[in-house]
Amino acid sequence: MIGKPDWFQRRKYGGWGIVPKTWQGWVYIAIFMLIMFGIQLIPIINSWIRLILSGIVGIILIADIFHIMANIKKDEREKIHEAIAERNALWAIIFVLCVGIAYQISVALVKAEPYNIDPVIIIAVFAALIVKAITNIYLDKKD
Amino acid sequence: MITKIEEFRKKQKITQEELANAVGVTRQTIISLEQGRYNPSLQLAYVITKKLKAKRIEDIFLFD
Repeated sequence: MIGKPDWFQRRKYGGWGIVPKTWQGWVYIAIFMLIMFGIQLIPIINSWIRLILSGIVGIILIADIFHIMANIKKDEREKIHEAIAERNALWAIIFVLCVGIAYQISVALVKAEPYNIDPVIIIAVFAALIVKAITNIYLDKKD
Repeated sequence: MITKIEEFRKKQKITQEELANAVGVTRQTIISLEQGRYNPSLQLAYVITKKLKAKRIEDIFLFD
């Protein structure tokens, strides 16, 4: 891939993803931004080609960022911290989703209307449930 | 957990950064270990013991 994991560190305080740690990381981001802006500014290409080129560069960037995130070196203490932080974030998400479901059911009951729960919320909760089960099965077999 | 990492490290005249690089952790992890705030895995405790040229893990890491 293009970027090196040593150029970045995981984002700890401002969301998910990576932030540059070295000047090479900043150059990497600057080059991708230049390419993206460059594609928008080239006057001779039509909008479809511009969209396709932007999409290709975007897919390369996302794939590269995932590769970097998967290969950033973390020691055991950092791995534990990251796991606990991600777990707590997931608990917050699930809590909000469950409150959302309860709210939508309550509103439907009060208005005497049929339940109108957003299916995306249900899918998100079930997706989390499935991923948790698969992870536990994998970890039980692994060690 | 009480550790004697700092004492052994100073005997060996190596910095936190050098020890961190030698055992494959961050300097922050060495600081946490020296302050007794983080309990290392057996593997990390073993590697640190070897690097600091102590005979046994118990010479560096003391469970209270």
